[in-house]
Amino acid sequence: MDVTQQEGKQLEIRSPKGTRLQQEARIGLLFLSPWLIGFVLLKALPIIAAFVFSLTNFKMLSPGDTKFIGLENYIHFFKDTAAGSSLFGSLGYFLLTVPLEMVVALALAAVFTSPRLKNKRTSRTLIFMTSIIPATSIFFIFIGSLEYAQRLIVQRFDLPPIDGFGLLLPFMALWSIGPGFMIILGAMESVPHEIYEAARVDGAGPWARFVFITLPMISPAIFFTLVVNLTGAFGGAVLLDRGYILNFSLSPMESYINNMMFRDGNLGYASTLAWVTFTVMMTLTVLLFRSANRWVYFPEDDEVANV
Amino acid sequence: MFNRKSPHNSGVSTLTFRLWDFTGTALLNLFMFLFIIAYLSPLPFMVIAALTPSDQFLDANAPILPSARVKFNYDGKDLIVYKVPFESGERHLALYKSSRQSSEFIDPENPDAGTITWQGSWRSLKAVYEPKPTLDNFKDFLGITQLPLLFKNTIIVAVISEIGVLFSSIAVAYGFSRFRIPGGKYLFFLLIATIMIPSNITLVPTYFLYSGHMLNWIGTWLPLIVPHFFGSAILIFLLRQNFKSIPRELDEAAMLDGAGPLRILISVILPQSVPVVTTVALLHFFYIWNETRLSSLYLGISPTLQMVSFGVQRSQSFFFTPEVLMVGALVVMVVPVVVLFISQRFFMQDMVVTQIEK
Repeated sequence: MDVTQQEGKQLEIRSPKGTRLQQEARIGLLFLSPWLIGFVLLKALPIIAAFVFSLTNFKMLSPGDTKFIGLENYIHFFKDTAAGSSLFGSLGYFLLTVPLEMVVALALAAVFTSPRLKNKRTSRTLIFMTSIIPATSIFFIFIGSLEYAQRLIVQRFDLPPIDGFGLLLPFMALWSIGPGFMIILGAMESVPHEIYEAARVDGAGPWARFVFITLPMISPAIFFTLVVNLTGAFGGAVLLDRGYILNFSLSPMESYINNMMFRDGNLGYASTLAWVTFTVMMTLTVLLFRSANRWVYFPEDDEVANV
Repeated sequence: MFNRKSPHNSGVSTLTFRLWDFTGTALLNLFMFLFIIAYLSPLPFMVIAALTPSDQFLDANAPILPSARVKFNYDGKDLIVYKVPFESGERHLALYKSSRQSSEFIDPENPDAGTITWQGSWRSLKAVYEPKPTLDNFKDFLGITQLPLLFKNTIIVAVISEIGVLFSSIAVAYGFSRFRIPGGKYLFFLLIATIMIPSNITLVPTYFLYSGHMLNWIGTWLPLIVPHFFGSAILIFLLRQNFKSIPRELDEAAMLDGAGPLRILISVILPQSVPVVTTVALLHFFYIWNETRLSSLYLGISPTLQMVSFGVQRSQSFFFTPEVLMVGALVVMVVPVVVLFISQRFFMQDMVVTQIEK
């Protein structure tokens, strides 16, 4: 191995190309093996197993009575209004929170690129900080601050009491912008300065520069943030996980599945629901990736694009 | 970048420009300062509540900040001081003997003068408070949770799984970034796809796998630790993006010196990747610290193995008073926040994802 590598490129020309590539592939696969094994054991097989479960009446308390019931669970799903509304609830959660998160993250990142801003590192950490607060804490913070808002404002001025729970979603969305903000900020900072200079010479104002240079240049980061948020809305955890307990999740579909699983013990139907969610989410992701061709700018860099 | 004004604007003198520039900078920084204050404003409430005595919550007239009722010791008894309205003005008097129509009070400033009688129901009076934060809630909280045990368990699980997740994620990311593998592009696409798989779909089968029917790992730390030894897709992705940006010429130079793939990883790639490895390690630490899902599933039956986030959450079912739970919330939150601040120089510096594959 050492000999081949010592000779470097020259060998590649002289020796049969296949063997060297084969060897490289073999070493590469060896490095990939932990993930490959994990993927098969902990992702691929469980997903297939979940599909098999979804065709049965598997119950937590009576695994012995499990029978193959075909598509009955799927037929039941189409009659189950609660499942339907949970699914649309998850979609609504995505559509409600994501634009809010994206707009705030973009605006903040734009302010952060200004060289006039002082103490950037501390401000950045303070904004990011809220995204790592555990779920265990966050509800108490939320309930606690509502209680104080009630005492400070509502009681003092005799206002009607606030319906606090409606504020939870926007609150959580705003307090979760950390990763998106960091990714977008990173992308904004790596936009080459010359492009802005050129645009300035051509007479483009700050707003025009933002819309016609910054946004297209950072579109990959926006795309990535969108994918991350889509996953989050359906119960995946990307980058940061606050650790919601199983029976209380902000994603309605996730809570519904968890209730089906742990409260009712109906593993067969829970697997069906999980598979339906999985299909819907994968369809949305594929659509998102398809649309990427139209609005995401992919730099022509084959070195990076090809593994 | 957008706000930098050219000093050569026609008709603008240098002084006016400087003034303008200064105002702009001041406004921008003021805006950010106010934004952060507003953004973090819910946090102080938690701290205030954690320091507030519980009886203060029961009194609607109590002040907002942590306070205690002013008491006056008379005849060996602690008397509560009330605001008592008289025609001559309001006086702060200690309630000595209460009854419905009229009550007897003692003047704390002049106790020897005997009792003062006031006509009216003492229940309509407001108590006098003095600002006084209390640590009782912290004591109560430590009484109901085995915090040292929870911390110890979390650290053990975090350290072991951290080793596993770093070893394999770095190896896999290196494999993806440096080797030409037939179909490697599709494998990488598969990796991206696994990031997006919702955890629900694998939950039932993996629970079945860990249950008594197969591996019998329920009630142990294994379900929380072992999966990390196969690497984590998102961490592999972040590491791989970073390894890609390290010039290949460095590898080739090392290769000419006779270094094998492992040697290159250790002495060329890793020294260049300290920030991203730190970021990834911290992301994993935050994940383990906040973890409640798997703990509730697999550690619910063994209280001695529980970890901090779920352990504190569970304590609410034994002992529910909001201000004690605020202490719990604060304690659980403090560690990741402190870790974030210590590591802010490294953290997230390299979370720049500029290249997204299709």
